[in-house]
Amino acid sequence: MRRMYLLFGLLIACYASMAQYAGYAPITDLPKFKVEFSTATQKIVSIKSDFVQEKNLSMLSEKIVSKGKFWFKRESRVRMEYSHPFTYLMILNKDKVFIKDGQKENKVSTKSNKMFQQINRIMIDCMQGTALNNRDFSTRIFENKNAGLVELTPLTKELKELLKSIVIIVDKKDFSVISIDMLEVSGDNTLLKFSNKEMNGTISDALFTIK
Amino acid sequence: MVQFRMHYLLLSSCIILLPGCSPVYKKMQETNGNISELQKFKPAFATALYKTSVDVAGNHLSGLLLIKHLPDSTTRIVFSNEMGFTFFDFEFSPGGDFKVYSIIKQMNKKPVISTLRHDFELILMKNIEKGPLSMRTQNGLNYYVIPQAKGYHYYITDSSRNNLIRAERASKTKTVAEAVMQNYINGIPDTIRISHHTFNFVIGLKRIER
Repeated sequence: MRRMYLLFGLLIACYASMAQYAGYAPITDLPKFKVEFSTATQKIVSIKSDFVQEKNLSMLSEKIVSKGKFWFKRESRVRMEYSHPFTYLMILNKDKVFIKDGQKENKVSTKSNKMFQQINRIMIDCMQGTALNNRDFSTRIFENKNAGLVELTPLTKELKELLKSIVIIVDKKDFSVISIDMLEVSGDNTLLKFSNKEMNGTISDALFTIK
Repeated sequence: MVQFRMHYLLLSSCIILLPGCSPVYKKMQETNGNISELQKFKPAFATALYKTSVDVAGNHLSGLLLIKHLPDSTTRIVFSNEMGFTFFDFEFSPGGDFKVYSIIKQMNKKPVISTLRHDFELILMKNIEKGPLSMRTQNGLNYYVIPQAKGYHYYITDSSRNNLIRAERASKTKTVAEAVMQNYINGIPDTIRISHHTFNFVIGLKRIER
C-alpha cells in the first residue's frame, strides 16, 4: 500500500513539474544539455536583434508594450535602445551603466546600485550562457523539440524581494536566447522577446562606450 | 461641559481661521463659489500611462507611471522602471483610504510613502466632493480650499474659473507642494508636474500614447 502511495505521489510530482510549462517536459539528459549549452554559448561573440517587452500587470489586466533594438558583445556589454512608445537608452558595460532618458544622461555604478547590479547580471548571464552557473539561483531545465527552458529561482534574500523567478527560453539550434520572462513576487511579469537576431556580426565597440 | 464647549469653540475657530493665519495665504479675501466648478478639472483617469522623471536631492530616476481607475471606484498607481521592475503599486479609494500593494525596499519608508500618497491625492482630486471649507480670492485668482487631515488642498483657477492654474498642498503655515496639470485631452492631463517647496523633489509626468 505504501508503495502505491509513493508511486502516486511521484506521478503527481512528475505531472506537476511537466504541467508547469505547457509544451515543455523536464529535461531527460541534463549533463548533455549543460555541455551543449556551454559549448554553443561560448561561440556567441555578438548579438544584434529587435526586442519587444511586455510588462503584464496581472491584477490590473494591463499590458505595457515597448519595443526597441538590442546589442550584445562579449565580454559583458549590452545596449538596449527603446524606441516605442518612448525613447530610452541603457548601456551596460561591465560594472557600469549608462542611462539616457530624454535629455538627461546618468551614469551608475552597479556596485552602488543593487537593482542595476541584478539587471546587469541577469542580462549578461543570459546572453553569455553563464546563467546556469549563477549560484544566486537554483535551476530547473525543461525542453521540447526546438527549445530549452531554463527556470531560475532566486536563493538570496535581496533577489527574492525583487523576483519570484526568471524563465529563459533558448533556441536549441544555437542556444541563443528567444525570450526572458522576469516574474515578480506580486504576480506581475516582464517578458522580453528577441527577434530578427543577427549572430556574431560585426558590432562597433563605440555602441557600448560610456563617457 | 462648559470646558468641552470652550475647546470645541477654540478648535472650530482655529480650523476656520487657519488658512487666513498662514503667511502665504493671509491676504486672501473670502468669495463665493461652488464645488461643482472644480469637477471639470478632476482628471478622468480611465487608464493613462505617463513617462515619468523624478528628481530628488540631485538624483534622477525615470520610469513609467500607470494610473488606472477600476470598476470599484478605486484608483491604482503603479510606477516601474523602463525595464519593467515595479517600484511601487498604490491604491486610492474614494473614501480616502490608501493601500500599498508593493514597494521596493529602498522606498519603503513612512515619510516617502506619505509624501507620494499626498502628492498623488492632490492630482487625483478624489476629495473635492467633500466640499471646500471656503472660497478665497487673491491677485485675481480663485482658491478652492479643501481641508485635509493635516493642512489643506488649494485648487487655484483664474478669474473666469475656467482654467486651473495649479493645485497646492499646504501645511497650516506654508505651501508644501504644488501641482500643475496641463493640456487636458479627453479629460486627462497630458503633462503633470509636482514640485515641492520644502525640499528639492520634482515629479514630471508626460503622457504616452500607446
